[in-house]
Amino acid sequence: MSNSTAYVSLTDMSKSFGGVKVLKDVSFDVRPGEVHALLGENGAGKSTLIKMMSGLYTPDAGTITVDGRELKFSTTRDAGAAGIATVYQELLLFPELSVAENVFLGNYPRTATGIIDWAEVRRRTRDLLDQLDTFDLDVDTKVLSLSVAQRQRVEIAKALSKNARILIMDEPTASLVESDVQRLMAVVRQLRERGVGIVYVSHRMPEIFALADRVTVLRDGAHVATRDIGEVDENQLVSMMVGRSIESLFPKAQASIGGTVLRVTKLNHGRHVRDISFALRRGEILGIAGLVGSGRTELALTLFGMTPATSGEIEMEGKAVRIGSPRQARDLGIAYVPEDRGLQGLVKAMAIRKNVSMATIERLSSGIFIKAGEEAQRALDAVKRLSIRCRNIGQPVGELSGGNQQKVVIAKWLETMPKVLILDEPTRGVDVGAKAEIHTIMGELVKQGVAIIMISSELPEVLGMSDRVLVISGGQITGEIDRADATPERVGAAMTAHRSGEAA
Amino acid sequence: MKLKSLIRHETFLAVLLVVVLIVLSFQSDRFFTIDNLLNQGRLMTEIGLIAIAMTFVIATGGIDLSVGSILGLTAILTGVFWQNVGLPLPVAATAAIAAGTFAGFVNGVIITRFRVPPLIATLATLALYRGLAEGISQARSVRGYPEWFYVLGQKDVLGVPTQLWILLFAAVVASVILAYTTWGRTVYAVGSNEVASRFSGLSVEKTKLALYTASGFAAAVAAVIFVSRVSTTRSDMGTGIELDAITAVVLGGTSIFGGRGTIIGTIIGLCLIQALKNGLSLAGIKGDGTIMLIGAVLILAILASNLFERSGTRT
Repeated sequence: MSNSTAYVSLTDMSKSFGGVKVLKDVSFDVRPGEVHALLGENGAGKSTLIKMMSGLYTPDAGTITVDGRELKFSTTRDAGAAGIATVYQELLLFPELSVAENVFLGNYPRTATGIIDWAEVRRRTRDLLDQLDTFDLDVDTKVLSLSVAQRQRVEIAKALSKNARILIMDEPTASLVESDVQRLMAVVRQLRERGVGIVYVSHRMPEIFALADRVTVLRDGAHVATRDIGEVDENQLVSMMVGRSIESLFPKAQASIGGTVLRVTKLNHGRHVRDISFALRRGEILGIAGLVGSGRTELALTLFGMTPATSGEIEMEGKAVRIGSPRQARDLGIAYVPEDRGLQGLVKAMAIRKNVSMATIERLSSGIFIKAGEEAQRALDAVKRLSIRCRNIGQPVGELSGGNQQKVVIAKWLETMPKVLILDEPTRGVDVGAKAEIHTIMGELVKQGVAIIMISSELPEVLGMSDRVLVISGGQITGEIDRADATPERVGAAMTAHRSGEAA
Repeated sequence: MKLKSLIRHETFLAVLLVVVLIVLSFQSDRFFTIDNLLNQGRLMTEIGLIAIAMTFVIATGGIDLSVGSILGLTAILTGVFWQNVGLPLPVAATAAIAAGTFAGFVNGVIITRFRVPPLIATLATLALYRGLAEGISQARSVRGYPEWFYVLGQKDVLGVPTQLWILLFAAVVASVILAYTTWGRTVYAVGSNEVASRFSGLSVEKTKLALYTASGFAAAVAAVIFVSRVSTTRSDMGTGIELDAITAVVLGGTSIFGGRGTIIGTIIGLCLIQALKNGLSLAGIKGDGTIMLIGAVLILAILASNLFERSGTRT
């Protein structure tokens, strides 16, 4: 493996934060016209590495060579000048500005008199978008009205406007639906053909095998291997990432399925929950599949009392109930682990101990006083039971990795002893190791008789974990498929199906 | 990490307070005397009571600008109920405090039920309640309260001004509530992440409603003490007191974005401001200069505390 053709080479990069070495002597290079995938669990050092490449962090040691010259980046501007642009996971656009304004922000072409040449801005933005086969996007639209996929293309156009030779993409498909993923992959291939070198950070194996020319794996801040994609298979990559082999990706535990615990009849709320009827049994995992915007999350929110049902019946263990608030849902034994962990699931600034007790704080008090000892004990038990990796239970949750944060949310709801546990995208943004652990936890819960509703965008997860799959499209149930019959084709077809009486 | 940085901020403030006390005592020999210090305690009680309730409100990420107007309204009602309606003074004062508390409750309803941002809601009621106070008073002041009433604002109990005992009691109760109860926990949780608090089944709305009501109650109690201290009732009482209270709270390390803050910090902040005001005026510095200095101290304290926090944490 020679670096002779590389456009950017990073050699022996190291970085520490507050005495903790997060990156140890890592070398990495990108050649023009290749897709170089960067793999690793959360906390492996991927983001630190790409932040040094894009000038956000200065390395403690190591050199960056661009096109044969050794450079030092102290700002993102330096990296930009060297032809390196980054499309971050959380897209950094200004929602109130138009597409064209965003693309050339800080870089506006000017007329001879020094005034911004808006006609030129718009013309060149149109040009860039056309190059990305994005003919359907108006350059005058405000960014706030765009979908995630469209915003991403605006970000890419912005990178191209600066003549980027290297484009770093941080988990570009994490929040895209399947059709947009395909389109993004086409854009990536096209950029590669034009000679742009691409650093592609992703957890998703199929994409990596479809796109990458080479792959580099990091683990615990150290370089594990760089290989041509033809030399490795998925199992090898996974074991390189986690440092051990994971036997089965979806360990479906055999639990005995009991009586009906939750029955929903003709449930309605707004446009996204329409005439939903289903039953859920003890010890069962009911998978809910559907495209983003199909009403999956809205159904969960209605069951959890955030957006109470406007009509329809809910029965818990045979008794008709009304669920008007999350408190009521909790008291009935319904728990919800939300989709947006950072916003809805956790109070990141607070300690693990306080997050774990948050849904059960009244039960942990005598009178109005919190029983601190018992609270700490329960948090310690939860940390042990779910193997949450942390310094101590006083550590703010925001400092944990994605997988461990998710386990804290799950721990919080297990404290309520739920009968029905709703998990909304339980493994999104979670690394492979933690994902398997969460699946194992689910298996243990159903063995104890908990009924689980699992919403997931990841079809293999839905098919691998569920006893039964409910497919939702346009707010309605378009399919109910048993595990034995649940094939990707059948579920996929139901996901895009429309029921009669539906506009468009 | 969080707790450490909080302790640091309060330690820093306490040290600053000691330094200020020492410097001021060199500026004027009348400053560091028991009499003067106790008298300053008397003067800061009204702001202090309001600031204690305000600490809770700001810790949830809210704010209450209407407290000065609630104070004025309660003061006027005390006078009117007693003199014009003819109620016995204790009944009149209690009824006025109930009215002030209700004014706070109305703030809470506007904020929680109609989802008006606290800044806007209380800015509106600031004008509303003050206008109400002026309308009721008709620019007349009420004087001639019975002698026993002045025990509250002008006399001592066990050698310490009466109202200072009230402030002390309020501070201790509030500290315990904020640090050790489910209620205090909810306040911090709501201030750090309101959405997640709601998703965790905490009673966000009920808590906020109670806080704004408590803030009204604190302002109303402060009003009665104020009237007793100055022996008269006017409708412009308490104008601008909300800014003094907010300054004390923020100086005391409560984040204006919510999620952190302590009562002890607020009390130190309060003492610092009062010491500066009094010491500087004794040293012959004019009012304008004092206000400027308080502004500068506020900015410095925030900068210093940010500095500590940054050096302590990674991001």
